Amino acid sequence: MTYETKMKNTYKNKFKSMVKHPYFGFFIITIIMLLVQVLRIAGVDVANQTLRAFGKTMIYIIVGLGFSILLGFGGLASLGTAGFVGLGAYLLGYFTNNKGYSVFLIIIIAILVAIVVGTIVGFISLRIEGMYLAIITLAIAEIINEIFTNWTAFSNGIDGMIVNNRIVLFNQYIVLDPNVVFVAISLALLLMMIITFNIMKSPTGRALLAMRNSTSAAQAMGISIFKYRLLAFIVSTVYAMLAGVLYLTYIPSTFPVPGDWTLNLSLLILAAVIVGGSRSIYGIIMGTFLIFGFDLAVLSNRNNFGGYFIEHPEISIMLNGVLIILVIMFYRGGLIRLVNTVIGFIKRLFQKVKHKWKEYRYGPDSE
Amino acid sequence: MGAFWLDFGIAAAILFVAYNIFKIFFLKYFKNQAKVKSRVINLIVFLLIIYTFVIVYQTAQAKFDDRALAYMILQFINQIPNIASLALATTAIVLIYKTSTTTNFAQSMMATFGAYSAAKAVQYIGANYEWSTTTTVIVALFAGSFVAFLLGVFIDTVIIRYSKDKTPIGKQMITMGLVIILMGLMPMIFGFNSTNNPLVIPQLFPASEKIPLTFLNTWGIIEMQLSMTKHSLYILIFSVFLLVLLFSLLRFTKWGLGVRATASNERVASMMGVNTKLITALSWGIAGFLGGVAAIIKAPTDINPALMVSTQVNGFVAAVLGSFTSFSGPLIASILIPLLQGLMVSLVGNWNFTVVYAIILAFVLIKPEGLFGKKVDKKV
Repeated sequence: MTYETKMKNTYKNKFKSMVKHPYFGFFIITIIMLLVQVLRIAGVDVANQTLRAFGKTMIYIIVGLGFSILLGFGGLASLGTAGFVGLGAYLLGYFTNNKGYSVFLIIIIAILVAIVVGTIVGFISLRIEGMYLAIITLAIAEIINEIFTNWTAFSNGIDGMIVNNRIVLFNQYIVLDPNVVFVAISLALLLMMIITFNIMKSPTGRALLAMRNSTSAAQAMGISIFKYRLLAFIVSTVYAMLAGVLYLTYIPSTFPVPGDWTLNLSLLILAAVIVGGSRSIYGIIMGTFLIFGFDLAVLSNRNNFGGYFIEHPEISIMLNGVLIILVIMFYRGGLIRLVNTVIGFIKRLFQKVKHKWKEYRYGPDSE
Repeated sequence: MGAFWLDFGIAAAILFVAYNIFKIFFLKYFKNQAKVKSRVINLIVFLLIIYTFVIVYQTAQAKFDDRALAYMILQFINQIPNIASLALATTAIVLIYKTSTTTNFAQSMMATFGAYSAAKAVQYIGANYEWSTTTTVIVALFAGSFVAFLLGVFIDTVIIRYSKDKTPIGKQMITMGLVIILMGLMPMIFGFNSTNNPLVIPQLFPASEKIPLTFLNTWGIIEMQLSMTKHSLYILIFSVFLLVLLFSLLRFTKWGLGVRATASNERVASMMGVNTKLITALSWGIAGFLGGVAAIIKAPTDINPALMVSTQVNGFVAAVLGSFTSFSGPLIASILIPLLQGLMVSLVGNWNFTVVYAIILAFVLIKPEGLFGKKVDKKV
């Protein structure tokens, strides 16, 4: 063994290279999430509500990751997200209750349906651009909601669909324990973060970014708008539908009703992505925790603030709107930019202090 | 229902083939090809719409025999409140698009804010004065719309004015943020609808007061006696009056000239001495006012934050269908959409909204600039 390889393989260097690996942060986040569940199992008094809030937030993070590829990279504003999440949930419910398909098969079906729907919306986005796209996607979400309401054979109408966390696995019905699903969601989130990271840093992500800044310039550089718009929509729809499937398996004793998947949810997801920072995975995680997680875990907890925010749920909704406007008007880039600024400041301060200390210890530079 | 789609599909296919034949063989003889092409597409669309009406008529005939025409007229009469409120809401959306170059998603919430204030006014008047319902509602209408006007001006002066340099999508998102803010704000200010706090706007006149439409019989159009409620007649007159007033203001006053100048190019307009700030603020205010009226005339309704959301979606779709670049196009589309939605009930039952949206979506895919829009060349 040469000296160089020996030096490379020291534990310190190994650790350094591990920390610098881009996936490291994702693993840390997943471990933190799992820790919440493990603590609960180990007997630490984690409130049930907090745990559920973490799970829900992770599901919304998955939706947000898909949406960031659409909005942050593609520059395409869509308001159909909630409809797609609902479609995923309904697919799971329908195929489990009425057909008894295995959950893996349902996931594959959901992905296929998502590809079809994403392609359709993508085609529409080729013809109708810019501001009109948000309107048209809103109309599409409305159509999807009408389908939920009216196609009773599929969705059981406005009564909703009673699933009760049942899935079919290996030809038998299994009632899922939310604690087990939590682990599955954490792993799914890890997978999704890795995939999103790879899309963002790959030629696809770069092409989308070029498209976002100027469609004409991107076309002049040989980027096929057709291909990448469709791709962006397909990716975001697949994410949304998978999140819908997870949502239905996780939340205990819920059943999808048509009223759950309206403009409201789409706007909150939009808020999460924008407030966090639409082009950064960590930004989206922070944004979603701020918009959804904080509300679910802290504000709507009966013990906090004397239940004030349960009686006045509209305050937290309002704050979300204020955050969106403030971020767009004064601080493009969102929370992640703030965090990066603070980290940069601390680093510079640290270096300064180090320099000062060296000066004091060894005397000033001789130059 | 199946036969309808078959017939409709065949008709659409024949028209499509005819259009292509026209495009290949005859279009070259015309001077202004783009204009002719757009007009031919419009002609085809109107033929299809007329065809839909004919099919609806035929289905009605199969069901009601000789009372089919009466049925269709009745459908139209039933849709009058919807048409009136949609026309006002759509005009408001287009007005804001013209002056601020953004699609105002908060339009419905501004309108609902007006409706909440009107309901509060009704509550207050009911507690303190002994006025008749009609007077109460008229006073509440103006009070609520005025509050919506102030809200519009406030939103413009505080937020929209300072977001001029943002991208169109950024501006759009600001209005989406406004939606969330107003959605939270309204229950906080006005409280929830309950027996202690009834947020209800009654009809202008009680539903039993009807006006018989005798002219239909005397002119020999239909045999049956039809009547419409006094409420719908008055709101029809009022909204037509408002729209005529607005359009004449746009056409003949300095403010209207300013709006049109701002719409074509805001910077140049401000250089030429147009007070664009005042014009934008006024436009937002007027949009709020129209929205408030639109929300209030949907009565009798219980007021909740989601009151105008469906109207908003319809209004956007109408504005896309009629093209944002003109004022009259969205107006025609906003008359057409509720009418089609009402008539489709006899054909497709509950699916009427879905079918109408799908048809409009298909049309917009074929002609993205809308019914009466001009194709805008993109700047590179």
